[in-house]
Amino acid sequence: MIPSRKFAAVLLAILTGAAAIAFSVHAQLQIPMPAQQPSGPASTLNHNLILLDPAHGGPDPGATLGDHILEKDITLALAVRLRAALAAAGFTVIATRDADPSDPLTGDQRADIANRTHAVACIVLHATATGSGVHIFTSTLQPSEDTGSTYPSYVPIPWETAQAASVSQSQRLAADLTSAFTKSSLPVLSGKASIRPLDNLMCPAVAIEMAPLLASGEDATAVTDPAYQQRVIATLTAALQAWRDHADPEAQTVVPSPDNSAQSKAIAAANAAGIAAARSRVALQTTASAQKGPQ
Amino acid sequence: MIPRYQRILFWILAGATLLMALVLLRGCEQAREKLTRHRDETPLAAPVATASGTVRLAMANDVDGSITLEDRDLALPDESTARAHALLARLIAEYSYKDSAHPIESGPAVDDVFLLDLPLRPPVALGTPATQQPDQQPPANDLIEPHGPGAQLAVINLRGTFADHHPSGIEPEMLTIDSIIGTLYANFPRIEQVRFLVDGRPRETLNGHADLTRTYSVVNTANKTAQEAH
Repeated sequence: MIPSRKFAAVLLAILTGAAAIAFSVHAQLQIPMPAQQPSGPASTLNHNLILLDPAHGGPDPGATLGDHILEKDITLALAVRLRAALAAAGFTVIATRDADPSDPLTGDQRADIANRTHAVACIVLHATATGSGVHIFTSTLQPSEDTGSTYPSYVPIPWETAQAASVSQSQRLAADLTSAFTKSSLPVLSGKASIRPLDNLMCPAVAIEMAPLLASGEDATAVTDPAYQQRVIATLTAALQAWRDHADPEAQTVVPSPDNSAQSKAIAAANAAGIAAARSRVALQTTASAQKGPQ
Repeated sequence: MIPRYQRILFWILAGATLLMALVLLRGCEQAREKLTRHRDETPLAAPVATASGTVRLAMANDVDGSITLEDRDLALPDESTARAHALLARLIAEYSYKDSAHPIESGPAVDDVFLLDLPLRPPVALGTPATQQPDQQPPANDLIEPHGPGAQLAVINLRGTFADHHPSGIEPEMLTIDSIIGTLYANFPRIEQVRFLVDGRPRETLNGHADLTRTYSVVNTANKTAQEAH
């Protein structure tokens, strides 16, 4: 009898251990991939943070405006000037690129960076030679029934429709920007567009496209015109200040404090680390592709 | 007195000339026989007089970002696919006219239009027993499901030259997409969804901006006019 009791006890211990191991493995498999399934809503927006995404770059020149003027250069120049204006207004600004790298980030990688910042506004900058004035676009996604703030933290958000939770805020931001440009006597069009990475962003996101300024009886003002760019930047800065104050009335103090400066440095460092990580992923993918190539 | 070698040379040349003439005549006869043998004696099909009808084109305007429906009297084929192809070709051709409100370079734009009944199902090999077919169905989320009975998916295969030379920008590219969708909506009530290919292959954007990887719902884009605030 005694040997059989010992055998039963050992068997029970083995089965208990196996069940515990199986449970822990099952729990690990439930953790979503952060890049493909951004978990968590944009409920904790950083009301002092703006994300700028100068579109195109590297081998992707975008549109050609006039003779040898590329859209990627226009958007970068615009982002640099807008960044300075927003910083002077007390914002912390993160840009997905501040140069013209030979291996630019993909749209998904830009969205990945943006989704980690929880910015109060994500601005995607474009330029075109068609139309007149400023064009403001939001995602074509329908607003999800659950707003971003009511998503439970454990519910994965589909990558392709991540903007759905924020599209209502994006439309309000677009309406505010449209109103601001109208008050600045700049022609403005607003609409919806299917462009990347707008649908993948988990923040209030708009695409702003600068077009030449057409006036009856006068020559068109090119998008490279410094005065025209300055009007657009000043209007955007003022509108984003109003948007921040509207979103968080307690954040109206725009004087950069030492704590704010330290926070800015920390965010900038985190941003640089994020971009470096994204670039390393690109390098790994490139290496993997090169290794697969000769087969 | 003509030397002997010259007389021999003369007769050789005369014989060669005669021989070449015979070969030439024979060659001509053979060529004529070949042409006659391959000649298609089928009479030409009599031209069919197609009555012109009124169609609606969703015309884009770059200045105010609007789409407006305009009527045209056109003679179009009866077959749906050919009709859609001709209609879209006419739509793009109008954008190449002088003083167009949405200028696009002239040239052929649409290579093919395919109309597919929804829902899409994967192809099944001939002779496969019906009992084996359900196991090959893909997951439900991979299917393009119709919203109504008899719905169709239009696959529009654009030419690469058209996409490459299309004005680049969010507004001009989205206006072209909305113009195509609006024209299909106004003239083909069964078409519910649209996908785009370029040179027979999926392409990320039209010319750097408008997303061509997604499936577009066919809606009345004339009501989706951009709001001009100033």
